[in-house]
Amino acid sequence: MRIDEKQRTAARPPEAGSGVTIVGPGSTFHSVTEQITSIVISPDVPPFWFWSFAVALTVVLAFLVGVVALISTGVGIFGNNIPVAWAFPITNFVWWIGIGHAGTLISAILLLLNQTWRNSINRFAEAMTLFAVACAGLFPVFHLGRPWVAFWILPYPNTMTVQSQFRSPLVWDVFAVSTYATVSLLFWYLGMIPDLASVRDRATTKLEYTVYGILALGWRGASRHWRWHKTASKLLAGLATPLVLSVHTVVSFDFTIAILPGWHSTIFPPYFVSGAIFSGFAMVLVLAIPLRKVYHLENLVTIRHLENCGKLMLATGLVLAYTYAFEPFTSWYSNDTFEMAIVHNRAVGPFAWSYWAVLTCNVAIPQLLWWKRNRTTPVILFLISIDVLVGMWLERYMLIVSSLNRDFLPSSWFLYSATTWDNIILYGSMGLFTVLFLLFIRFFPMISMYEIRELLPFSSPGGGSEK
Amino acid sequence: MDGSRTYGLVAEFDDPEHLVDAARAVRECGYTRFEAYTPYPIRELDEIVPMTDRLPLVVLLSGACGTITAFLLQWWIAAIHYPLNIGGKPLNSWPMWVPIMFELTVLFAASAAFFGVLFFAGFPWLYHPVFRVPTFERTSDDGFFLCVETRDPVYHEADVTRLLYSFEPLSVWEVDDE
Repeated sequence: MRIDEKQRTAARPPEAGSGVTIVGPGSTFHSVTEQITSIVISPDVPPFWFWSFAVALTVVLAFLVGVVALISTGVGIFGNNIPVAWAFPITNFVWWIGIGHAGTLISAILLLLNQTWRNSINRFAEAMTLFAVACAGLFPVFHLGRPWVAFWILPYPNTMTVQSQFRSPLVWDVFAVSTYATVSLLFWYLGMIPDLASVRDRATTKLEYTVYGILALGWRGASRHWRWHKTASKLLAGLATPLVLSVHTVVSFDFTIAILPGWHSTIFPPYFVSGAIFSGFAMVLVLAIPLRKVYHLENLVTIRHLENCGKLMLATGLVLAYTYAFEPFTSWYSNDTFEMAIVHNRAVGPFAWSYWAVLTCNVAIPQLLWWKRNRTTPVILFLISIDVLVGMWLERYMLIVSSLNRDFLPSSWFLYSATTWDNIILYGSMGLFTVLFLLFIRFFPMISMYEIRELLPFSSPGGGSEK
Repeated sequence: MDGSRTYGLVAEFDDPEHLVDAARAVRECGYTRFEAYTPYPIRELDEIVPMTDRLPLVVLLSGACGTITAFLLQWWIAAIHYPLNIGGKPLNSWPMWVPIMFELTVLFAASAAFFGVLFFAGFPWLYHPVFRVPTFERTSDDGFFLCVETRDPVYHEADVTRLLYSFEPLSVWEVDDE
């Protein structure tokens, strides 16, 4: 094709050492469209997809068994008991919702900061957010004891004439998480409309044409529509930025508003937000590294993307390390016996293993990211990311269990241990996340095509790719 | 096709430069009912294609509605409808309403941004005359189209054709209205 040749000559090879290339050389508008839409419409699905889908679906079946057992038997199948009432379900909730935060950071905050490298990874990072929030939302409901009356927390006219207690952070949480889920969904779908039109225009079967035709809503790339689309994207980004900070802040209020030693601390909001973004970038890397390999996306999701995520992981990890250091300091400085006791308990008490594991996983091992060689080697990044995900789960476990198991009265101390059902539902939720994510990469354009086109050097009439 | 009106003339261009030049020329000749169709947003077209963007205003008003709704909801429930006396604290303890006021502001504003785009663009609108252009699927790939609509008050077919052809289009089509 004529235009392709012209674009190839326009796509100058990257200048040595400039490090400005975001998309690999040789890409044209058409090659980008073909590369991304073919994943969705091609009948050749990589065997990797089927294998991982089969495994994940099996895990989901185990998850369903767990959920049925939970609902039919009751919350007693978990290891939770007073005073450790939260344990696994809330640990899982905070972990999952934290993972979602990096997706919003990439799609919203980096958009506002004009970090155009994000264009190759924002779509699947947003999908990650959506599915992580979906998994997160299940746990507080499971944890209720009577999950079928979960809607009682919402303010609605009812025959019992009781109403929500708006002074409780648990009610704030419902509003924060449901707003977050809704805004993430709208943002993700809005961004995908032009790309769904690309899939529609390349559909090979009647069914594909109809389904993607409806999903694309009749998008035709009109410049007026682009203008509204761009305005709305920027506005949504501006709204999602404080939202993402508020969500984990409200989650941390669930802890801090309680007077429990080890929870009642003003450092919790930044502590939780930095931890959330830290774990979220780990999940982005865990998803991106195999995806670019299996779907040969190395030209779009380059080493530079991985390295940037690694850098952000290092930065948020350092903020987290700072809060880890400040927690014992504030306890000591408060001169409060109970606060000091909890610091002691965390370090040498029955759950000391989790405390030291957290410091190893979240503080010690991520320091490997200081070396460029580690940040640019996908295998090492992948392993560090897994380590961070494990560490961040353990952090919430440590925070919840070590504070709850020994509160003020020694007579009510309780040694918590998780049951098999706890584990089945935790791992099952990972299966659910994987199934949703695999369905997404099979049926939706996982990389934003129009935003990649904007990055190509010949996209701007004046020449150059400056935005 | 007999009996059907012409919707407009559509020119297909190979690259954004020609499209933007042609659009600018069309604008300078006094046309207002024209539209460019591109695979990605082109900033230069924002100044050329005439439009008013009221979306930010709608989002602002909707966000304000969210704030007010959240305040009224919480104040009415906590202070009037279902007052709970907890340690003698004031019933309308408004600082505690702030988190939900913030969340509903964002929820209302974000919904307005999303549904506002749909409303202004007229979506879902699955059919449009320009889809009759045989190569129009390139608009979501690597094609750049410019359509001058016949309903433009100064539309003159021969003039528009001549104008479009002067910018080296790949081809120019006449598309019928339904």
